[in-house]
Amino acid sequence: MNVAGGVGFDRRARPLLGTIVDIGVRSGASGTAPIDAAFAEIEALQRCLSRFDPASDVARFNALPAGASLAPGAATLELLEAAQALFATSAGLFDLSAGTAPEGWACRDGRLHKLDPRTRLDLGGIGKGHAVDRAVQRLIEHGATAGWVNAGGDLRVFGDIELPIALRDEAGGGSRPFAALADGAFATSHYGAGTRSRLAGSTRPAHVSVAAPLCLWADALTKVVALSGDTSHPLLARHRALAWLH
Amino acid sequence: MRISLVASALAVSAAAPTSAFAVDYLSIEQAAKLMFPEADSFEAHDVTLDAAQLQQLDAQGVKARSAHWSVRTAKRGGNTLGFIVFDEVIGKVELISYAVGIGLDGTVKQIEILAYRESHGFEVRLPAWRKQFVGKGASSAIKVGEDIANISGATLSCTHVTDGVRRIVAVVAAARRGGALV
Repeated sequence: MNVAGGVGFDRRARPLLGTIVDIGVRSGASGTAPIDAAFAEIEALQRCLSRFDPASDVARFNALPAGASLAPGAATLELLEAAQALFATSAGLFDLSAGTAPEGWACRDGRLHKLDPRTRLDLGGIGKGHAVDRAVQRLIEHGATAGWVNAGGDLRVFGDIELPIALRDEAGGGSRPFAALADGAFATSHYGAGTRSRLAGSTRPAHVSVAAPLCLWADALTKVVALSGDTSHPLLARHRALAWLH
Repeated sequence: MRISLVASALAVSAAAPTSAFAVDYLSIEQAAKLMFPEADSFEAHDVTLDAAQLQQLDAQGVKARSAHWSVRTAKRGGNTLGFIVFDEVIGKVELISYAVGIGLDGTVKQIEILAYRESHGFEVRLPAWRKQFVGKGASSAIKVGEDIANISGATLSCTHVTDGVRRIVAVVAAARRGGALV
């Protein structure tokens, strides 16, 4: 079923994770409970991951001296373990430390260890995708049969619906139809003047989009594709993902 | 996962952005009830900040933008439960309507986006473009833009909303200190 038109779906949005998070679910007996639970999940994760909240796992890690460790929340740990694996399999392309000291952190035995005093973690490249996945879990647990979560362009759709996807044009505004997605995730990163990183081999502003079963991988793999310039990077197939440059 | 590209998806050079996009989420009444479900009534107040109050806000680093604010008070059995303020902010290409719920302790209880409108880039600054949406509540306007297309692209920033929330918190605090809201 294509859901263009939106009739029969409850939809809400809140400013979270530095963007607007849009959640839609098929209207049903559960009322607003699924959406409320999904927003609560994202708010909780934001408190764990924000570099700007001194009580967050990330800010506490950044303040640690070398040799010390802390016990992050379960959601943070899950994310860091995925990022650690991706750092290894991408031969260092995916780097949560943003170049400060990529091998200066490690997750072992449920704890996050600081190995190098220079390491600062920034989960911006993977956190939104993970938040989307966790929010979708909450929607399903609370009885939603179909719907989506879109965190400012990192999105996932579930249930028996097909979601039209449009790409925003960063330079001029507006959007254009791109695809229809069912039971999967889609993420886009923009590279150009003023962005933190550049697309490999290009000085032209460009977008990288990745579709994958989980939003965490769609989000993270946009960075691998951008930094390698390779839309057939072997990691895409490993995570059953597809990539486009546009 | 199943994904099917639309026919023109990869014809990048030919694919000029075509559609603007608009979503209505909640009316201000719906947002007020979501934020204060225990309230039995909501009262509208027009708050006008005087020059001294505006100066105080300025000293706190908050640009009040306007001296006139409309604030709803959530009540139950005559007691005030909190406040709801509606506002709109304009970004580079977007117009965002939102509501902020504030508890009696002066902190933010909840923020809900009421509507999101995205232009092709320049129309957002034109009064005529913005005016077409005035009075379109959630009940009437879910078909504005004729789609619920989910947009992917460079991440939208919510900086304008975040700044707006900070402004509203300061305005409500100033109005309460001045006795305009109880």
